[in-house]
Amino acid sequence: MHLIPQSWAHWHILLSVFPSVGLIFALGFYLTGLIAANDLMERTCLVIFAVLCVLGVPTYLSGDRIMAALSNDARISTDLMAGHFVWGIVALAALTITGVAAVVALWRARGLGRLSQPALRLVLALALVTLALMMAAGEMGWQVNHHELRLDAAAQRTSQAWSHAHMILNHFPTVGFVLALVFYIAGLVRNDVVTQRTCLVVFVLCSILGVPTYVTGAASMWALSDPGLAGISRPVIEAHRDMALLTLFGLAFTGVAAWIELWRFRHLGRFSRPSLYLILAFALITLAVMAETGHRGGQINHPEIRIATDVLPTDPKAGVTRAIALLINHVIWFVPWQTVHFFGFSLIFGTVLVVSLRVLGFWKSVSFAAVHRLLPLGVFGVVINVFSGMLILLADSSRYLNAPTFAPKMGLIVVGAAAVLYFSLSERLWKVRAGENAPAGAKWVAALVLIAWSGVIMGGRLISYI
Amino acid sequence: MEYSNVAIIFMVVSVVLAVLALAFAGLYGLNKTVDKRAP
Repeated sequence: MHLIPQSWAHWHILLSVFPSVGLIFALGFYLTGLIAANDLMERTCLVIFAVLCVLGVPTYLSGDRIMAALSNDARISTDLMAGHFVWGIVALAALTITGVAAVVALWRARGLGRLSQPALRLVLALALVTLALMMAAGEMGWQVNHHELRLDAAAQRTSQAWSHAHMILNHFPTVGFVLALVFYIAGLVRNDVVTQRTCLVVFVLCSILGVPTYVTGAASMWALSDPGLAGISRPVIEAHRDMALLTLFGLAFTGVAAWIELWRFRHLGRFSRPSLYLILAFALITLAVMAETGHRGGQINHPEIRIATDVLPTDPKAGVTRAIALLINHVIWFVPWQTVHFFGFSLIFGTVLVVSLRVLGFWKSVSFAAVHRLLPLGVFGVVINVFSGMLILLADSSRYLNAPTFAPKMGLIVVGAAAVLYFSLSERLWKVRAGENAPAGAKWVAALVLIAWSGVIMGGRLISYI
Repeated sequence: MEYSNVAIIFMVVSVVLAVLALAFAGLYGLNKTVDKRAP
């Protein structure tokens, strides 16, 4: 592999995700900083906005250089490329204004001794406008090179909507980890608990997003290779798939370690320094694995980023994932992991039921802190099921992925898992003592969690029958 | 390849026990860290 891009096209693909997807994460940190009135996060975000603004220059230059080359490619729509160019220019202009406003806010803080609230709000408004423009430019950019998205849906066995979702989703854990690591290291150096907590939440969210990213990737494999498309090589996809499996493990380790530390923080009121460094090590290793996964993913459908020394896999029978898929198809391996999957659901739903019912007003004689102790049981259930579910999916992925209830099941897993984060973090819920009612908002979340996980179980069971 | 019912049952019990033992050992250890250090 080559991590340092050797062409303008490669630079553009690599850099352009930071001003778009990176901006979403930067805005998330910025909003948290504003709500928590955390000076470190506000200042770090202003620096990030300025850095993203600077990154806009090579993003523009690299895009401009490859336009002429891509214009000669018959598969590339020149209309889409022109649209992407115009929206890109507008979005980069907005990013420049946001970056300049961020630098001015930082500069003024030197004289005032603190950040000005109106200046912070102005940067927020500008960043939100920039994000909307970036999303429009980014969507057109993805459409430019990915001509498979414009194929006739009737001729496809597996919908290209999976490929579309995968090419958007896969940038979130990767770019999210880069941004989270910047803030996390700043939080560790300054020993800032709010920043550390926020980063742990982002690690958990990225890990949750890893599940639909992996699944949409598996579906994209079928969408691109059955029936096959010109220029798409199944062995290259298999090589990407093997690395994606390692990424899934890396995300699981980092996400679970981060969540455990958030859970322990609730009970102990402090973080364990060795645990925080362990999470840093997990996150760095996972990011390195994700970088290689992303690179191999880019090789699938971007011939323009390949160089002469790149040796692409050609053996259609190679690959660890393929070997696991063959193994899990034997009844002696499939049935045990399917049984484990049902145990996982029992753990998840049992925990969700007890915690949600307490929030909804059952068992008011116990405090919320008491049921908070049970949350790891449900999280272990999620881990067991991500692993066993991945194995089951490999057994017959084309059939599972094309079942009408599979996509809703995946969506509900993300909703259910993210909503459980609320139970782990909410300050107001944590203070609900024995005999007290939970806040109304928490009751809505509890109902959502119950509906989401019930839907996951129903969606999973229906896969085999409709 | 054909497998006997005994072999399948053995595998189911072994895998389930191994996974649950790992999960509950982790859970026990995790709860202990909170119990020990709680103020």
